[in-house]
Amino acid sequence: MGPSVSGIASDRDGAAPLPAKPRARRIFEYKRAIPWTWALGLGISIWVLFFGLWEIASVRGWVNATFMPAPHTVLGTLYVMLAERAFLTDIMVSVYRIVVSFLAASAIAVPIGVLMGCFRVVDAFVNPFVAAWRYLPAPSFVPLLLMWFGAGEGSKLALLFIGVVFFLATLVMDHTRAVRTELIETGMTLGASRRQILRTVVVPAVLPNILISMRQMLAVSWTYLVIAEIVASTTGIGAVMMRGQRFLHVDEIMAGIVVIGVLGLAFDFLFRFAHRLLFPYLQRGNN
Amino acid sequence: MSPLPESKIAPAARRSKLAVRGVGKTFQFSGRETIEAVRGVSFDVMENEICALLGPSGCGKSTVLRMVAGLEEPTSGAMTLDGHRIEGPDKSRGMVFQAYTSFDWLTVQQNVEYGMRINKVPKTERKERAARFIDLVKLTRFRNAYPSQLSGGMRQRVAIARTLANDPSILLMDEPFGALDAETRWQMQELMVGIAETSQTTLLLVTHDLEEAIFLADRIVFMSRHPGTVRENLMVDFKKGRRFQSREQMIEAPGYYELEKKIMHLMRDESRRDADSAAGQAH
Repeated sequence: MGPSVSGIASDRDGAAPLPAKPRARRIFEYKRAIPWTWALGLGISIWVLFFGLWEIASVRGWVNATFMPAPHTVLGTLYVMLAERAFLTDIMVSVYRIVVSFLAASAIAVPIGVLMGCFRVVDAFVNPFVAAWRYLPAPSFVPLLLMWFGAGEGSKLALLFIGVVFFLATLVMDHTRAVRTELIETGMTLGASRRQILRTVVVPAVLPNILISMRQMLAVSWTYLVIAEIVASTTGIGAVMMRGQRFLHVDEIMAGIVVIGVLGLAFDFLFRFAHRLLFPYLQRGNN
Repeated sequence: MSPLPESKIAPAARRSKLAVRGVGKTFQFSGRETIEAVRGVSFDVMENEICALLGPSGCGKSTVLRMVAGLEEPTSGAMTLDGHRIEGPDKSRGMVFQAYTSFDWLTVQQNVEYGMRINKVPKTERKERAARFIDLVKLTRFRNAYPSQLSGGMRQRVAIARTLANDPSILLMDEPFGALDAETRWQMQELMVGIAETSQTTLLLVTHDLEEAIFLADRIVFMSRHPGTVRENLMVDFKKGRRFQSREQMIEAPGYYELEKKIMHLMRDESRRDADSAAGQAH
């Protein structure tokens, strides 16, 4: 600091400054951010607690081991399934179904949703149809799909497709509508045609939210996958779990659930990673 | 204090650039209900002139600007720019909005190049022009930054550079500094005078800030409401054909207080008329 401006007393001229007295950090603070180490530790501890309690309950015999095998039994079974019973093939079949049906649904739903969000004529034409389908539970089509496509891949892919496409289109439409009019009008007064505005303004503006919607719908997709595989399939994670139920192999059912959970987390992570990679400008304070 | 610089073109040599003739706008809401926003508005903006549309909120000044931009169609009357009838938006009438309109997915440089890219300006010329206008709004240091890393005033400067780099015949601004804090606002106003001088821009600006209008404008079109009409077309002649570089210059200039007082009276009169008509309806 330079010399004090005349008329304005500096700290030295007046009373001694009060020493800062940092307050001890309390655990519960409204809406206050916490260190990442806390977040990581807390995130891990809930799982440790969950499996710990489960393990204790099983080992002590508080629960029936037939219906509630211990975590280490489930993990052991999972290893055996992977190593000796080609469970990996079933996992790959399930992943294939998810990926193919989800890509197909996105390829239809995203462009339609964007056009519905942009143009009222498209909205008025398509929305009555889409809105009705959204209220029909997709699993109610299983008997129909089985008759049309048989027990092959077709019926499963169709169920997953129906379950995702209408919801995704609606989400994308809502996000596209939320693109600010000023952005579009800016494009217009800079001489962009309607087609150019779609390509250079609307789509880039809504793309991050499209990716978020896809991430949300992928979770729903897993739900329909298990339904499809439980109802009518001899392959896939759901089918393996259904067989486990028939022979009272609860550990196999639980192994299936664990695998679905892990895959769900993995896909979620992939989407988040892609989001960071594709939209660096959304990371505040980079460079 | 430095002497006031002479404006590049003497007022007598100016030609009409934008002509607004008897323009009216009635909005229709769900069939029966209609609201007459603007009635019989006529005024001219001369070449290289800065013209401010000033008036109380709800006087239809933004509607007039949007019609000039081609974003809204008039229900009556006509407008011409450089003798050509205005129909729909195009690059000859670039607009800067109050809300931030920088494209968040593009860097400052890419934002400023946007219009030229759309209009197929060759790459070398595009880069060169963008650099020039980024320099004009003093953002050269930030040309590779994304808008989310910039302050509100800087984002507005990106929008101004982007519009000017696209070489519009007239620049339209709808309360461009309305969202900024007081200090940033007058810094932007001072910057805008420099930009207008350097780029020889004709500017039509909507504002409800009376000092902003006096500081920036060569001509003030004062509008009255219910419906929106032109009440007074004032030449800011105490500036004697020059423009101020700073607010201090404006405040010290003879004639400033008289004009401010005159416009204050107009505004006071507007609110009094409103109070009277409200009282009349209540009885």
